[in-house]
Amino acid sequence: MFLRIEKGSAVPISRQIAEQIATLCASGSLRPGERLPSVRELARELAVNQNTILRVYERLVGEGLLEMRHGQGTFVAARAKRGQLAVHRKRLVDELRQIARQAVGLGLTTDELHELLAEAAGGVEQSLSAAANEEPTS
Amino acid sequence: MIESAIELQAVTKSFGRTEVLRGVTFRVDRGKTFAFLGRNASGKTTTIRMLLGLLKRDDGSIRVLGLDPSQEPIELRRRVGYLAEDQTMYGWMQVGEILRFVAPFYPTWDHDLALKYVRDFELPIATNIKHLSKGQNVRLGLVLALAHRPELVILDDPALGLDPIMRKQFNRDLITHLQGEGRTVFYSSHLLYEVEPVADEVAILDQGRIVRQADTETLRRDVKQLILGREAFEAIRGQLTVLDVRSDGDKLVVAVERAESAIERLGREGVEFRVVDLNLDEIFEAYVVGRREGGAVDVAKPQAEFQPLT
Repeated sequence: MFLRIEKGSAVPISRQIAEQIATLCASGSLRPGERLPSVRELARELAVNQNTILRVYERLVGEGLLEMRHGQGTFVAARAKRGQLAVHRKRLVDELRQIARQAVGLGLTTDELHELLAEAAGGVEQSLSAAANEEPTS
Repeated sequence: MIESAIELQAVTKSFGRTEVLRGVTFRVDRGKTFAFLGRNASGKTTTIRMLLGLLKRDDGSIRVLGLDPSQEPIELRRRVGYLAEDQTMYGWMQVGEILRFVAPFYPTWDHDLALKYVRDFELPIATNIKHLSKGQNVRLGLVLALAHRPELVILDDPALGLDPIMRKQFNRDLITHLQGEGRTVFYSSHLLYEVEPVADEVAILDQGRIVRQADTETLRRDVKQLILGREAFEAIRGQLTVLDVRSDGDKLVVAVERAESAIERLGREGVEFRVVDLNLDEIFEAYVVGRREGGAVDVAKPQAEFQPLT
């Protein structure tokens, strides 16, 4: 599991970690049932406080993305509710709002913005299905 | 009640006529990693030296592991690991020699543990200390501070002079060898972005006073920047805890504490405003150099053209 922490960012470190794990789950890089590094391992790897990692894991367990199995560790939940994650959704809405503000600033109309967004989403779907075709195993 | 690891109540200290600490109050819970932040000459090292009984306070009370450092400095030093700022060790001694030299000072010294740290930290045992790099020096200092298994570790600006790779390694050492073993860590630093990933809690010392103590996530949630019109600001100014005000054209850029309630209030007033999340550096800046009163300084114009708010 590769995570990247941006120090000095206005986004708190716990949120950076939570969002990246959620993204890895949503994109399929982390599969249902897959075991995550232990709190200790991830803390050491990222050089981040163990309590921070623990809080992130607990929050994601609360949101149904991860599950803790006693004595075994933390795993991606079997039926992770993708796209329903509060942390993910809030960030997305914030970013869309910011993009909308930029678009208005550039003089784009709502229709033009819709069109650009639809085009971008189309591109993402294409590359996702292409990736799924050429990836027979995990 | 769990006894705290460190507790200061209204501690004051002057050197001659210079007041260095003007009523410092804070507490550090056991098992926490606590970062003590402040600009140079804000009183960090003075405070740390008092925690160890190396300096006497003028007034107030200090408890470290339940002891008064000025009364029981020897007992205290046995239970605390300490790494001084720019710690100098006997350069002619070899790494292995200084371990044997320091060991008798501590009844609880664990020589096997010291050797394990030396291996973990990849320190050359038969090299003279004067030939160690800056990073190796800090690590040797850590070995000496940790090998007696102290309950509390006090580090005075340990990251000073380390390059970015060594700083990350130091943070890892701190997480693995200190947090991982449940020790209380109190360390000072001026590198905020290095502190944030590691610390449970921070205290900001400014001009001899603690201006804020909080865990890092609370601090970020609590301190934000609002961008709003002058009139809107003046209307609710009395209900805000303002840290810094700057003007930007016809808007004001205001850093506030208790952002959540400020945002709620602005929402109820129905005024237009924007909220900006701040990083720890910006929050620190708002506390130590923020302009709270006497009107705003224009960010765009030189100060001479500044028109006071009316």
